[in-house]
Amino acid sequence: MAVNPAVSSQPPAPPPGGGSLGPPKSEVGALGWLRANLFNSRFNGALTIVVGILIALSVWYGGRWVVTSADWSVLVALGGQMAIGQYNSSDACPDRNCFWRPQASLLLVTALLGMAWAVAGNGIVKRVAIICAAVAASFALLPYSFDRMGLDVRLLLAANIPALFAGYALARYTPLGKPGRIVLLGVIVFMVTLVLLRGLPGVPGLQPVSVINWGGFMLNLLLAVAGIVFSLPIGVALALGRRSNLPVVKGLCVGFIELFRGVPLITLLFMSQVLVPLAFPTDFPQNSLFRASIIIILFSAAYMAENVRGGLQALPRGQVEAARALGLPGWQTTAFIELPQAIRNVIPAIAGQFIALFKDTTLVYIIGMQDFVERSRSFIKGNPEYLDNAAELFIFLALVFWAFTFGMSYLSQRYEIHLGVGQR
Amino acid sequence: MRSLTYQGVPLWRHHRVIQWASQFVSGILVVGLVAWFFINIASAIEDRNIPFGFSFLSREYLTPIGQHFLPYESSDSYLYALFVGFSNTVLVSIIGGILATILGVVVGVGRLSSNWLVAKITLAYIEFFRNVPLLVQLFFWFYIMLSLPALSESYILWESVYINNRGISAPAPAVANGGAALLWLLLAAASVAAGWLVQRTLTRMQTDSDRLTHPALFGFIAALALIIVSWFIAGVAMGGPPLSVSFPAPQGNFGQIAGGITAPTGLTALLIGLVMYTASFIAEIVRAGIQSVNKGQIEAARALGLHYFSALRHVTFPQAMRVIIPLMISQYLNLAKNSSLAGAIGYADLTNVAKTMTQTAPAISIFVLIMLGYLAISLTYSLVGNLYNAYVGRTARG
Repeated sequence: MAVNPAVSSQPPAPPPGGGSLGPPKSEVGALGWLRANLFNSRFNGALTIVVGILIALSVWYGGRWVVTSADWSVLVALGGQMAIGQYNSSDACPDRNCFWRPQASLLLVTALLGMAWAVAGNGIVKRVAIICAAVAASFALLPYSFDRMGLDVRLLLAANIPALFAGYALARYTPLGKPGRIVLLGVIVFMVTLVLLRGLPGVPGLQPVSVINWGGFMLNLLLAVAGIVFSLPIGVALALGRRSNLPVVKGLCVGFIELFRGVPLITLLFMSQVLVPLAFPTDFPQNSLFRASIIIILFSAAYMAENVRGGLQALPRGQVEAARALGLPGWQTTAFIELPQAIRNVIPAIAGQFIALFKDTTLVYIIGMQDFVERSRSFIKGNPEYLDNAAELFIFLALVFWAFTFGMSYLSQRYEIHLGVGQR
Repeated sequence: MRSLTYQGVPLWRHHRVIQWASQFVSGILVVGLVAWFFINIASAIEDRNIPFGFSFLSREYLTPIGQHFLPYESSDSYLYALFVGFSNTVLVSIIGGILATILGVVVGVGRLSSNWLVAKITLAYIEFFRNVPLLVQLFFWFYIMLSLPALSESYILWESVYINNRGISAPAPAVANGGAALLWLLLAAASVAAGWLVQRTLTRMQTDSDRLTHPALFGFIAALALIIVSWFIAGVAMGGPPLSVSFPAPQGNFGQIAGGITAPTGLTALLIGLVMYTASFIAEIVRAGIQSVNKGQIEAARALGLHYFSALRHVTFPQAMRVIIPLMISQYLNLAKNSSLAGAIGYADLTNVAKTMTQTAPAISIFVLIMLGYLAISLTYSLVGNLYNAYVGRTARG
């Protein structure tokens, strides 16, 4: 690819005759843009034409496929199972009245977003909160008949908008509107969500639902949230342990990191299903979801540790020396001088690891959990009449996942700008 | 006023004591936890009669393996079956690595193109394929492959490539005359060496005489010509051409396809998915590597009169490689590990074979073997990386 023609550093000579001439027509406007960006050399001109023809062809055939031969009815047939899997099936919830529970926890999350909006002000948080609530509420308008999606479901979805504003008002006009308290509320909401979804024996309307029936996109989000929240602190601890000059601690951390980084996650998940039950006494309370989330957290923490270690290594030695010279004890140097700078410098890597973790939550199929992807695949397998429409289904899945991961990477970029990485 | 005689730090606050005590405690805790796990596992093995040990490895596996390019019979041993799975993983890792590198470099260079259309298209490619879970992509390609017509209604390209829902069959070279093929291979190796010598000599002539001698071009032509000549020499000497082309041919009313080389559905979908996915990461690495080279370098090269592409080849790439190669190796490793998703679309890689095996053999032993398998792959990659780093370190700018 050719470079842009070198820009002359001399100031332009004054036009003869004193009158002011504009730049030549071929250098400005749409034509100038085309010349500068698409046809600035013979090679680039040819490349533009070839690539342009290829794009036109794929848009033509792709568009024709989408409009004429693609059959999206498989999405309608799968419906709410994409969101919650088999959670509301007659196996999991005999009265089939459990749909409100994931929806209620969604409302709690929306209210929390509203509170975050009130605290953070008119920034990116506001946009995220409004988009999330609007998308959730818009599902209430899906053109389903009432036997597939009842009024209660629609009302609970539409309630996301009031929940958002309720959260906003709560944070604005009560003492709850402090960042620390919102984080605490977030932890409480997570716990409440788990209890809501799991159910309490003996409480009417909250009959227990086995975790093996938790599924759909809900499962991916739950695993991702648990993984993100826990893997960063564990990863930081491992990174510090790996840099420690205590041989036992260092050896344990290196061994742990290399063990988890050396084996594919899917192998670890599968083996967690076979081996971990043996490693605990038979009466030890555990289930497949718990095991899967522990493995995902530890796996992600091992990678996170390497990212944080990279940030720590990149830190100039003078920072630590200055802190020690000022009389800060070792742990304070680490906590207040080293870690904040190190983590700030590796935000892109950490965000990348969070995105990888979110994508990796699809691997729980190996232990028989019906997450978004596995639910879709087993639906296709169980309903061979949709076999020819599997491509449509997986394109939809790809778009949903893409929207979330792209949103995450966008947020991390905004956060980096907010922190002024590379500016100081 | 404090006493001037230094009493020393009390024992419980002495940093050595604290360090060693904390190490001792954490060590004991971890060892205790691991020991507790092992005791539990051991008692579970005893109570529930779970088989244990490695004696199963020499028994007959008696289970078919879906796809394998090494010969495999059901009567082969467990160990050999695991090795077949391992070889399938290695096969995908190598082919996928090569293809992903090619696609990734093209996309990564395109990302830096001054051509707006190319830069945006490659950006869209990277942002999409990098951000969608590999499993979704694999299923997409797998179901696309499955929706192809049945064997008897294959798409046939140029009467030699058959595309159907069982895979893609294409012509492949086959050894027609063993002796001639061996002789040709030896002569071809000698030809490459000769071509390299020509290139060396011409380069020296160019630097000595200031005359343009095109060393790379003539070296390549010399090697190619010698390889073609040695083909005929081998053919005449051994009475028959060394290789022939085997065309895929439908057998008995299109029941199956014999001859040629067939990439089965699972392998093809796996390769397409892995290559598209990994290439998007490699493209970003290539872009970062090229951008890491100081702009002044290429400007200086241009000012010295090097053509743009020559400057890219002789100035930018050698420096970018230092950044690119270590990251690239970790991507190859990721590709090898990601190939463990193969089981979802019916390709018998190491994890998938081992998973099936746990139904008839002790899981703990199999887990140890899987870890050894992936450890072997990752150690090989790190070895290559370290060798490269040592090489770069030796030839680093002085």
